[in-house]
Amino acid sequence: MSPILEFAGIARSYKKGVPVLNGVTFSVEPGEVVGLLGRNGAGKTTLIRIAMGMLHPQAGSVRAFGISPFEDPVAVKKRIGYAAEDQVLPGFSSIAEITAFHRYLFPDWDLTWERQLLERFNLDPAARIHKLSKGQARQVALLCAICHRPELLILDEPGGGLDPAARREFLEASIQLLNREGSAILFSSHHMSDVERIGGRVVLLEGGKVFLDRPLDALRENLCVALVPKASVADAAVLEHEAGCLRARSAGEDWHAVFEGAADTVSRQLTASMGSNNIRCVQVPLEELFIELLGGQR
Amino acid sequence: MTQIIVHPSDELPIYRQIMRQIMEAIAGGRLGQGDKLTSHRDLAEQLVVAPLTVKKAYDELELLGYVETQRGRGTFVCSRLPKIKRAEQRARLQAAARKLLSEAYVGGSSFEEVEEILREADREISGGSLTSAGGRRDKEKS
Repeated sequence: MSPILEFAGIARSYKKGVPVLNGVTFSVEPGEVVGLLGRNGAGKTTLIRIAMGMLHPQAGSVRAFGISPFEDPVAVKKRIGYAAEDQVLPGFSSIAEITAFHRYLFPDWDLTWERQLLERFNLDPAARIHKLSKGQARQVALLCAICHRPELLILDEPGGGLDPAARREFLEASIQLLNREGSAILFSSHHMSDVERIGGRVVLLEGGKVFLDRPLDALRENLCVALVPKASVADAAVLEHEAGCLRARSAGEDWHAVFEGAADTVSRQLTASMGSNNIRCVQVPLEELFIELLGGQR
Repeated sequence: MTQIIVHPSDELPIYRQIMRQIMEAIAGGRLGQGDKLTSHRDLAEQLVVAPLTVKKAYDELELLGYVETQRGRGTFVCSRLPKIKRAEQRARLQAAARKLLSEAYVGGSSFEEVEEILREADREISGGSLTSAGGRRDKEKS
């Protein structure tokens, strides 16, 4: 099967000589859920806008369903659902007017599902957008992104600024789409618990490139964090030279280093090479892993 | 089926949390041999996790011989459950016991307290309705 979405060597800078994206390559397969992670400014939104054909890359190519969104935007957009944190819906329209417009645009619009979601989200179709709370407006945007049952759903920070209950409802609706249509999802998020819930694969952007691209479970089970007392190693660079070390940083009285491998294996490896008995290796949740991989020194 | 909860920030990945809880339910008799599991799609919606994550948990349980999937009918608890290799089982339990005891002693609890906690846990896992004979017990058919 060919990929649903394919980025190849994408580069883009805003200021000359300062690349935001500098050769990003990965693809999303049918039915896959890919969480796009990275620190603020890592280029997640830029990449998503390129996928949507809203922004041209300066190098590289993007294809959705094998089609370039710049060559045939209508063909691509019919099959994609998109919702973003900063999305603006027309303020003086009512919810009913907006959904009617989407029904007109998308022949496959699922009216039954629209009604179920309106009820679930407790939205009044007669309400005007500018009267809605931020969370409610986002729910309308999500509804518009999924009721035409797209093969690919792209969400830019779906949870940003939402309370935990609204975020959960957002995830529930996305999971319904996965269940009903077997669609693929690409989403960016800073909520690691949401990524753990629905993510199948994680793509981590750093320095304009894909820093890590792995199944979530592999990330959780095959990476560990080693806590090494500063007394036993002079410098983080020493750890970074060890086989399997992805990154080491200073964290108070210890060095923290992310290693490939199970905790007990890495622990034996380090104990042997450092000659110290005070090294502890632990498996950590995604949030901690994110901080250990991308966080600063302290 | 049985109540399952998942915690995204747990040290175990979500599919392993699901596996563990189903294995506990089978061990404790809350899920009996031949019982049908909730479909992976329904459980995914209930738990609000990706359907593929639940499917992975079911697939792994099938590989281990705890459940079997019958095409078009669903996933069922196996009528003959696997025998775990004694030596492996013992090694795993020993590691867990050391972890449990060090946590207890650091917190100032005595060995007797841990013993009492184990008995309580046994009553909970067994749903209170079974004898404390130990080991896996079949669900009582009434």
